[in-house]
Amino acid sequence: MKKRFAILLSLVMMVSIFTACSAKGPDRLVIAARGGSHVTAMEAVKEAFEKEHKVKVEIIGLEAADLKQKVSLDAKNKQGAYDLIMADDPWMPEFSEGGIFANLSKLGVEADDDFEESSIALGKNPYATGDLYALPFSGNVQLFFYNKQLLESHNYDVPKSWEEVLTIAKDLHADGASGYVIRGQQGNPIVSDFLPILWAYGGQVFDDAWKAQVNSEPAKQALNTYIQLLAVGSNYETTDIVSSVSEGRAAMALGWPSWFIKGEDASADYAPIPAKGTANAETAATGMIGNWMMGVTANAKNPELAAKFLTFITSSETQKKMVEHGGVPTRKSVYLDKELSAKYKHFPTQLEALQNSVARPRTPKWSRVEEALGSELSAAIAGTKSVEKALSDANQAIDQIMQ
Amino acid sequence: MNSTRMSLKLHPKHGLLVVVLVATLFPIYWMVNMALQRSEDVFKNVSLLPSSITFEHMISIFTTENYLLPLFNSFIITAISLTIVMVCGLSSAYVLGRRSFSIAYNKSLLIWILLVRVLPPITFALPLYILMNELGLLNTKIPIILAHILVNLPLVIWFMLAFFTSVPNEIEESARVDGASEFTIYYKVVLPLVLPGIAAVTILSFMASWNEYLYSVIFIQSPSDFTIPLKLATLNSEQELTEWGKVASGGIISMLPVLIIAMFMQKHLMNGLTAGAVKE
Amino acid sequence: MHSKRRFQWIMLAPVLILLTGLTVFPIVYTIVNSFTDYYYLASEAKQYVGLSNYMKVVKDEVFQQAVWNTTRFMLLAVAIETIVGLAIAVLVESMKRGVKILRVSILIPSLLPPVTVALIWQMMLSNHNGIINHMLSWFGFDPFNFLMDIRIAFYAILFIDVWQWTPFAFLLIYAALQAVPKSQYEAAKVDGANSMSIFRHITVPNIMPALLFVILLRTIDTFRLFDKVNILTGGGPANSTTTITQYIYRQGVYNLQIGYGSAAAIVMAGLVLVFSVFYIKRSIGGAQDELRH
Repeated sequence: MKKRFAILLSLVMMVSIFTACSAKGPDRLVIAARGGSHVTAMEAVKEAFEKEHKVKVEIIGLEAADLKQKVSLDAKNKQGAYDLIMADDPWMPEFSEGGIFANLSKLGVEADDDFEESSIALGKNPYATGDLYALPFSGNVQLFFYNKQLLESHNYDVPKSWEEVLTIAKDLHADGASGYVIRGQQGNPIVSDFLPILWAYGGQVFDDAWKAQVNSEPAKQALNTYIQLLAVGSNYETTDIVSSVSEGRAAMALGWPSWFIKGEDASADYAPIPAKGTANAETAATGMIGNWMMGVTANAKNPELAAKFLTFITSSETQKKMVEHGGVPTRKSVYLDKELSAKYKHFPTQLEALQNSVARPRTPKWSRVEEALGSELSAAIAGTKSVEKALSDANQAIDQIMQ
Repeated sequence: MNSTRMSLKLHPKHGLLVVVLVATLFPIYWMVNMALQRSEDVFKNVSLLPSSITFEHMISIFTTENYLLPLFNSFIITAISLTIVMVCGLSSAYVLGRRSFSIAYNKSLLIWILLVRVLPPITFALPLYILMNELGLLNTKIPIILAHILVNLPLVIWFMLAFFTSVPNEIEESARVDGASEFTIYYKVVLPLVLPGIAAVTILSFMASWNEYLYSVIFIQSPSDFTIPLKLATLNSEQELTEWGKVASGGIISMLPVLIIAMFMQKHLMNGLTAGAVKE
Repeated sequence: MHSKRRFQWIMLAPVLILLTGLTVFPIVYTIVNSFTDYYYLASEAKQYVGLSNYMKVVKDEVFQQAVWNTTRFMLLAVAIETIVGLAIAVLVESMKRGVKILRVSILIPSLLPPVTVALIWQMMLSNHNGIINHMLSWFGFDPFNFLMDIRIAFYAILFIDVWQWTPFAFLLIYAALQAVPKSQYEAAKVDGANSMSIFRHITVPNIMPALLFVILLRTIDTFRLFDKVNILTGGGPANSTTTITQYIYRQGVYNLQIGYGSAAAIVMAGLVLVFSVFYIKRSIGGAQDELRH
């Protein structure tokens, strides 16, 4: 009886090992993607490609940190688990230099002029000038996300400076709403949420010689504003930001277009991010670009087919279809499409934001810089460190990483 | 007279038990509640009773998320690793635990096994990943099965040691006098005596294997190898809007196997633990 | 005698092979890497950098914080889980009816995958949609941002761990309570001992092995706390929930600084060894005593 059981189990074992090996024939493409609307959009349009090329497209949606970790660990694998991968644009230098991507020109994929320039620049290594390693898949750019009714009911226009944002936030807070919502989780969220304000005040993470600049005077002003905003607002994660602003419990925040596709009657809207600290200051570019790129892995099983899928999924025809399912276009022709821009009223704002966008510093060490900065920013808003101490510690940590 | 006094005396105790039960079971009830509500109600109508009942999430995790595959993977990985762990672990615990055997490096071997038990898994995970990569095994389920073996083997040996040492020597000796082979003594004489321990440790290892997350998150890249904990963590993704209904449905399914064990095998777990605790 | 020898080696061989393959190489490799600047995606070969990784790890504020968090978590979680588990075990033991159903219901949390547990609590603790904040609002409290508040996040995770593992402590202690010989209680009652002294002089000594067993298991487990933190807070806010394993995961796996992560892992292993010397001595001593009988 027990012997039979053991034989049975070893059989199961062999079979499963065989299936594990054989299940990955050439007739399937595996895509490692950022989970959420991107996956939904791709799932909705992939069928046409599957039929034409007689291939099964399998899309795996992962949380951002997991995606980066899985893709990097898989990179040294002789035969990769993924044929195509999505990458957040700040990862591009690290991924390109780490040899994770295949060179797209060698696979016959070219970037055409219809892609927004600031997006396509992200896919090249070195930035904007080098070889093409990835195409922009999702044209996310950070925008000012606010509740229109709430602001109008208090006779406010969309603020142009962060000083104004703070005044409005204080006023609305006094009326019982949350004035401004920060996305202050340690790590990528708080850094993405803070950088536009840093830029608005004229601050920078690095100077031209890659020396850290986050303990500068503008940086201190920006962080002080950020902390004051939190005092009359809240600190939420994505889901709560979207629900609180769209339901009018909170007034303002920074947001990404892929979070929230507004219907006709929504009271939340997008606007460009305020571009200066104080009302009289000079404006700076603050629309932080956060495109999701897609490229073919260097160890893909079927690079040619993967390249074809990449061309397919970034084509203007497919992008138009994906918009209906929460996709964020990266092509000018899609943004300017009459039907679409009539339906999605924030498209002009978004294209404008994309065209004026700023990219995060292009260094392969960005993830570590972000980690160090995020940890100090988190300490500052939690009050365990003073603004000065947090920023000077961050500066020191970043310099050490960059050595 | 006596019985009324009893029930009066028991009152505060009952109150405490109710508190314990509510604290223990409410979160589970809440997960079920989330799984069965329509997505809109999850956000808008938060109330103690579900404001709508739907099975759309339960169905959609199988249709759109392909939840069967990770279920199957988890079962396969758990079953194979558990079999290997039990066969190997029992035989070595037997040799290490019986004083009729004299292993030269007995003590160092025990220390080694205990060390593996206490050392943090993260110490092993990365180098093992690199090793598996060099061996070209990463496209199979072998690495994750080996990882599960590594997690459970020390537990089984360590747990069973106490059971084997407590079997009286006379039983073994009399079998030996009757001319039984060493294997027969082990298999037919001693093993049946430690069955409660085997049952208990099987349950414990099954749970550890079914729930394992750290090695999975590092070792498994391909979606066709995903296990349940990994799939669940993936369903729940920050930065994009989480679909609580799906996550909760997945969570409910993840706990079914262990719940079934709790219902039907709990007696064995209790017996094994009682015996083990007395001997410890 | 010869066949017996062969038998014992055959019995041991699989475990020896498995353990050698799965532990000796990784440990040696980790030690070697800890002296290098190994970066997983690097194109150049790794360089030996001496002790500099170790210096950096020990000096890193975040690592120090992680060690402190982990230690504090371990002490608090083990103490609370053992004491509450004991209390519930005594409570249930005194019940006359419904014990079986109670036992099963109470045990459920410790049977769940930690990932599932983390997700359940994430849903419950969420700001607007979480039931806990809703219940608080019925009593007129403002919503708490449990997992993002520096004063609360650590305790929220501690609470979740206690919720999950107290039932396990309960089960082990309850099993031991069941095994206390009833004759001892009766003898004590005949001697006129009160219930407090019966508990102290009969119950506690009898269940001591089980208590130690619980403490031991939970100590090993809580010291490597990872899943809950990684899913719920990612170590924030302000590193108040970073644990050592989480730190090593961030540095070694997420940032791919394998050299640095290895050094941190070795430091952690050293800490664990310090904690477990007592336990290993006791286990080995026990086993040797048994063998010497």
